[in-house]
Amino acid sequence: MTVRTYLLPRSRPEALGLLDEHGPELLVMAGGTVAMPLINEGISLPEAVMGLRLAGLGGLERAGDELRIGATATLTQLLDQDAVPMLREAARNTASWSIRNMGTVGGNLFTPPPGGDVAVALLALDARVTLASTRGERVLPLADFLTGFMSTELAADELLVEISVPIPGEPTAYLKLGRKHASTPSVVTVAARLEWRGGRVTDARIALGAVGPHPIRAREAEQLLVGTRLDADAIAAAAVAAAQGCEPFTDGIATDWYRRRMAGLFVGRALEQLTPGAAGEGR
Amino acid sequence: MNVRGSHTMEAPRAVVFAAICDPDALLGIIPGCREIEQVGDAEYRGQISLRLPGVVGTYRTVVRLVDSDPPSYGRLEGELEGTLGTVTGHATFRLAESGGRTTIDYEGQGVVGGPLARLDARFAEGLAGSLIKQGLRNLGSRLKADPAAGTPSDRRQPTREIPA
Ligand SMILES: Cc1cc2nc3c(=O)[nH]c(=O)nc-3n(C[C@H](O)[C@H](O)[C@H](O)COP(=O)(O)OP(=O)(O)OC[C@H]3O[C@@H](n4cnc5c(N)ncnc54)[C@H](O)[C@@H]3O)c2cc1C
Repeated sequence: MTVRTYLLPRSRPEALGLLDEHGPELLVMAGGTVAMPLINEGISLPEAVMGLRLAGLGGLERAGDELRIGATATLTQLLDQDAVPMLREAARNTASWSIRNMGTVGGNLFTPPPGGDVAVALLALDARVTLASTRGERVLPLADFLTGFMSTELAADELLVEISVPIPGEPTAYLKLGRKHASTPSVVTVAARLEWRGGRVTDARIALGAVGPHPIRAREAEQLLVGTRLDADAIAAAAVAAAQGCEPFTDGIATDWYRRRMAGLFVGRALEQLTPGAAGEGR
Repeated sequence: MNVRGSHTMEAPRAVVFAAICDPDALLGIIPGCREIEQVGDAEYRGQISLRLPGVVGTYRTVVRLVDSDPPSYGRLEGELEGTLGTVTGHATFRLAESGGRTTIDYEGQGVVGGPLARLDARFAEGLAGSLIKQGLRNLGSRLKADPAAGTPSDRRQPTREIPA
């Protein structure tokens, strides 16, 4: 192991100051469940590490019609809230108890696929992320924050400090397919949220995990649902579009072929849960 | 490791080609590039510092333009060396212009060594792919903001000062 310096800032300004001072060679660590295995295996060799554990970024609170999640709030904290059932479901489907006690919500946005199971839910919920540096703060939609495989909009001197989630008024659906029942890497993860008026869908969000370089929106499928009554034909068309539009990969868990097939199937199942009268999650 | 892709930007291809060969422009385009200098006719040396999720490191890189037919084609060879491992590879790119916009098609192969090679091939490919895309996005927005950015500095038109 190469780590010579471990910095543990006690406040957000201190953390941002240290980041600015040390430059891009300072490794930022939240829960460490992604970063530590890479260090222990000798793949990542940082000389200086900054832990965010005590930097005051771990709050989770409901403020009006928003849920504000501090970047270092743990996945267990997410499991304990009831303002947004989809996020509880996402946390429940992510890793195991011991990992959830350490791993953070912010860290999940940086986890390469097939990880990012909470990020998938946040994407369907239109979450916004707050990035801070000594220069100031900026807020952007999560959909714009995720730019590529292990790459985001985060600048070298910025920290992710908060994730805010509009509390959905309508039921939502979250499904993850893995090879085991629990603590399993994703074959495909689907999060869906619809808005309705007069029995018709007015807006749709479908987010997919493990079938692209980062959690992605199935935008064409979303479009196809708007204006429909979510009948069987509309669901089938959206499922086909989602399967065609994703960019699955092959790894030790599944082939790209299987992931694409399952993406279509699970988008269909998630939407079926949201059809009027169905007993879906969050109802 | 294989990467391939395509990217379209709002600039004529002569400007895009010039930017790809201009160390000043490259400094602002290559993600994490801290310094770059031209050390030979068509050889560049640089240093790149990247903070990736869970991984940080500084990399030294040498890139040579080994064959070119400006402004439509180029072939690069190079090495990247740092704590995460080494990448040795080559890439070709073709620029096609249509209606003042340029499309770059690129294709490359690399051999990965060191710690990086112990990860799934998907990691090196995914990372290379997203860094190239990021770089081309940077190039696109730079050329859009300042169309002269790709022109070698000695051939730039002097900008006129607007009196206050
Ligand atoms: C056994 C095991 C099983 C797992 N199963 C799953 C799973 O089923 N689903 C899933 O999605 N994930 C899974 N993971 C991955 C991981 O545990 C989670 O994604 C977790 O949320 C990562 O958070 P962390 O705080 O531990 O990340 P860290 O390791 O602390 O962070 C990783 C990197 O992200 C960046 N980063 C993190 N927070 C910030 C911030 N606030 N500002 C700037 N940069 C930041 C840094 O570059 C950091 O190095 C698993 C991991 C393990 C070890």
